[in-house]
Amino acid sequence: MSDLLLKLQAQAASQREPLQASFSDSANPIGLDGIEFIEYTTERPQALGQVLEMMGFKPVARHRSREVTLYRQGQLNVVVNANPMATRGEGQPFVSAIALRVRDARSAFAYVCERGAWAVPTNSEAMELNIPAIHGVGDSRIYFVDRYNEFSIYDVDFVPIPGVDAKPAAVAGIHFFGMLQYIGSERSFDWIEFYESLLGFELIPDEERFGIMPRGKLLKAPSIQRSQGFMWQLVEPDVMELDMNEKLQRIGLGVPDVMAAVAQLRQLGVEFVESNEAHAQIRGAITKTYLGSIMFELVQSSK
Amino acid sequence: MNTNFDKFGVDTITFAGSIEAKLQATRDAGFTQIMLKANDIVGHPAGISAAVAAVKNSGLRVTGFQVLRDFEGLSGHLHDYKIDIAKAMLQMAKDVGAPLLLCCSSTSAHATAELDTIAADLRKLAMLALPMGIKIAYEGLSWGRAINEYTTAWDVVCRADMPNLGACLDSFHILAAKTNVEEIDFIDPSKIYLVQLADFLWQETKSFEERMATARTYRVFPNEGVHNDGLIDIVRRIDRLGYKGDYSFEVFNEDYQNMPLPFVAQRAKASAVWLSEHVLKSATPLPNQMRLKK
Repeated sequence: MSDLLLKLQAQAASQREPLQASFSDSANPIGLDGIEFIEYTTERPQALGQVLEMMGFKPVARHRSREVTLYRQGQLNVVVNANPMATRGEGQPFVSAIALRVRDARSAFAYVCERGAWAVPTNSEAMELNIPAIHGVGDSRIYFVDRYNEFSIYDVDFVPIPGVDAKPAAVAGIHFFGMLQYIGSERSFDWIEFYESLLGFELIPDEERFGIMPRGKLLKAPSIQRSQGFMWQLVEPDVMELDMNEKLQRIGLGVPDVMAAVAQLRQLGVEFVESNEAHAQIRGAITKTYLGSIMFELVQSSK
Repeated sequence: MNTNFDKFGVDTITFAGSIEAKLQATRDAGFTQIMLKANDIVGHPAGISAAVAAVKNSGLRVTGFQVLRDFEGLSGHLHDYKIDIAKAMLQMAKDVGAPLLLCCSSTSAHATAELDTIAADLRKLAMLALPMGIKIAYEGLSWGRAINEYTTAWDVVCRADMPNLGACLDSFHILAAKTNVEEIDFIDPSKIYLVQLADFLWQETKSFEERMATARTYRVFPNEGVHNDGLIDIVRRIDRLGYKGDYSFEVFNEDYQNMPLPFVAQRAKASAVWLSEHVLKSATPLPNQMRLKK
């Protein structure tokens, strides 16, 4: 949970009645309720797997027919897609999709397409389940998943890895905090509009920031259950920067105690950036870049 | 003396011939940008990718891509059909590196005149263009059914309220419809995405039919027609607002379609120099400014 939500909680403690949901129906038009998984695509699934395991993730299941592995820790699922159709000769691993939990996937999909989202043809999706998806930034996709309570989307297409705990506990209380997206210059308001009108995200004031990498604009995703809210950060390039590529750049992981988490992850072999610009502190920390493109940001947050 | 007319470009619709010949003539005349139309790309004998390569290799900047017609105000299967057309246009615009897609107001009798519905459709179009980084410039055709003046076009752009949706002002349509130019002063210059310039040879175009016929055959470059005062007024007002974007000559003219390209391109250049030197009094380029090689 973020600072913002802690503040709300403190406010609530002084109220007599139980806390009301912080978002009304109209502010959560697609019935968003957190994320189901993050998908990375890579030609080097073992190398990426090692990085994920250092970060505390455990491989728990493999796809029946494709080169796709499911990693998990706590509530957080990460799918590593090494299907040659998907990697397209990209040398470095990249965040290729995010799956959003919604009340009803079909109606959420219809809602966003009616407002100008591009539907992704189902055959190009990573998993064989018929999960509706739209195009996100760059080559990435946004899936809509509604089966996350009674049974999971992984039950059908994934085979559990024998002898492995299917629900490994999170290291240092790691949970999903948010996504960081790189955008082109002067593109902030375009993308804010995209997330606000299609997914019901809400821009939060520039003064409200989390972690140690506060640049850009920050949006908050609504959620049915308060604990499932997450952040979405949009970062434009520096004035002198030539890289105008737009992409999902990295994920932010929430931990209740950043310094304890850093110590614990260092034990597992993770290296953190310690420079004048960025270094581990109570608010947050950032890992070094692995495999040329993969890094994780830790943000102080309890769930 | 060097003349600075970098903010002016030409539309390929003015020229006859292949995309390669149009690019060459445009460049040889000293222009640095060109406004493309869909059939330049689709009609290339060696296919779309060859046309895209020709554009990229020309060194010319792409001003924009035209044109999506009769898009807004439709319902049911007609709406779905036009969405498919819009997506294909956007894909082409992206392939060719165009920063904007021109959409002109509907002439269709099947389309509604309800401004909020039109705005909702434009909003959806802009949303489709958004992930691609393409802007939508909406233009009121002077024979459009519901929207036939820039003032109403600007109204629906405001109603749609999308960060990548703006207006295209076209001097031909403003002059033909005799819209009050003072309204230009109330437009947000950052929401003017393109200015298309052309004059024409008649004093009056009263009916829609006359406007259409004139628009498609007798447009001429600025300073070649009979509305210099009106055109100068329009250009100066837009400039005074603080507009920093491009001006492109959209000159549909049957004679020019039958003339050698260098002849037409030189007339375009003369018009650009006139606008730059005499109308806008632009500064001459700085020494050592980067220029395209001849």
